[in-house]
Amino acid sequence: MRGVSTAALFLAVLLTASCLHAAPLEAIRDILRRHLLNPPGEAALAALSEENLATKLRDIDPYARIFSAAEYRALTAARHAWVGIGAGLSLRGSVPILHVYRGGGADRAGVPDRVRLLEIDGRTVAGLDAESIALHLRGEEGSTVRLTVSLPGGGTKHFSVLRESFAPLDVEVIPPGEQRLVRIRDFVGGVTRPALRATLDFLTRTASTHEAAPLIIDLRDALGGDLYEAFDLAGMFLPAGAVLGIVRGRDGYAMEVHAPPGDKFTMPLILLVGPETASAAEVFAGILQRTQRAALVGRPTFGKCVSQTDARLSDGSVLRYTNKEVLFPGGDTCTGTGLTPDLTVAEDEMDSLPRLLERVQGFVRKHP
Amino acid sequence: MNMRTLLSMTVVFGLLVGCAGQPDPRTGGFFGGVAGLSGGGYQKRIQEREARLEQLRAVQRELDAEKGQLEAQKSQAYVKVQQDKAKVDAMQADIAALDKKIRALSSQEGVDQKRVAQMQKRLADLKAGLKRQESSLDALEGSGLGDSDVDLRRKQLEAQRDALRKEYDLLMKMQMELAQ
Repeated sequence: MRGVSTAALFLAVLLTASCLHAAPLEAIRDILRRHLLNPPGEAALAALSEENLATKLRDIDPYARIFSAAEYRALTAARHAWVGIGAGLSLRGSVPILHVYRGGGADRAGVPDRVRLLEIDGRTVAGLDAESIALHLRGEEGSTVRLTVSLPGGGTKHFSVLRESFAPLDVEVIPPGEQRLVRIRDFVGGVTRPALRATLDFLTRTASTHEAAPLIIDLRDALGGDLYEAFDLAGMFLPAGAVLGIVRGRDGYAMEVHAPPGDKFTMPLILLVGPETASAAEVFAGILQRTQRAALVGRPTFGKCVSQTDARLSDGSVLRYTNKEVLFPGGDTCTGTGLTPDLTVAEDEMDSLPRLLERVQGFVRKHP
Repeated sequence: MNMRTLLSMTVVFGLLVGCAGQPDPRTGGFFGGVAGLSGGGYQKRIQEREARLEQLRAVQRELDAEKGQLEAQKSQAYVKVQQDKAKVDAMQADIAALDKKIRALSSQEGVDQKRVAQMQKRLADLKAGLKRQESSLDALEGSGLGDSDVDLRRKQLEAQRDALRKEYDLLMKMQMELAQ
């Protein structure tokens, strides 16, 4: 088994090396020279080489990245193709945190959301990087993995989790149902807006909440996605024609974006945000905060109000680079600063949804 | 009378003493049964058993009805997913026809090829969206989601399909405009 793993790793290293070797540097320089939001200096472009491509790219554009064809395929694989424990993994510093998806294997095994992962099948994950941990978590469909996690109230617990094919909800409803509480993790073009609309209609019919009860949208795990989907989502809560923001590009390009016509949702809005709320999610939250349509509760957000685009290169690899910036209706941006919540909570409250909901209720009582 | 006989008599006596003062025929064993027969308790016992039996039958009927309801719900959900799949199939056929028309436009002279290219890009996105729908419906059938979440998922897919249909209608209109 060890031999197989070593062989697989060796193969992966070879593949990566061959992909990097084939990276068409001149095409990359040309794309960046002509399309990057902030034009790079020629010296920086000239410094790009096959050996330093990943690091030097980030010197030019902190969000630029080169993907091999295989990496890009895996990245864009549809959510329905997932096989696994039904949880996401993030590293907070060096601490691995599990983000549990509703209805997935981890959820059904009872693994709490946002818990610290300690061991996989009895082996500690301390000191491992995200990719190594993910590798241990992955496995054949139908197999089980034993997870040891640190419980929020103290102590540890073991869970046996089945790996299975899993299609997460595009917008999750979080129990208990007395609250209108939904979670968005990703802003997918043409997908998230209709899903949110359907979810809100569903909640109106099924949840026993008062019409004036606030809708709480949990964006703590929303890392971003499609910029225009974020605009469309914000437009669901604002009158038709309202200015949502300005998309600024190269060479003086600027486009004002307005809320489209259609049915609007008028209930009060609270958005849960945190340091992992980024990009399209920040745009969505920022628009609704600046227009005073929503209050933000949580911790300051990541601070990335720029968008990237992907350019396919001749060898099948893909260059991702920053091409646009979003300005809010007031003309400001969140890049570098993030959004400041209307109610800032303590860091240790961010992982406890019940505690956050208590804080939301207190906030709503003070600001009816 | 030896010791063993004495012990047996003591036990019988003990049993009789134990039954004394207990009118419930169910606790009497043989002696109690005899006492029950002679005191009209037997009839009461039969009635009680029949009443109990009737209660059990009622519970069984409720369980059967609930099971039937659940099975009906399950089959209703299955039927709904099949109907959703049929709608996706129909849309796929429509989109394939539109694809042909747009390809025909691309080879036609005097047509704005930039607009055709834009339509082709949007058509590719539309196809991807529909493919996603198809896979999501397949995944829904064996998903671990609870009933309420399956229902929610179906509603989400339905709303997403409506959005795809609008995009299709728009592309169809654009294609007709270009063809003219």
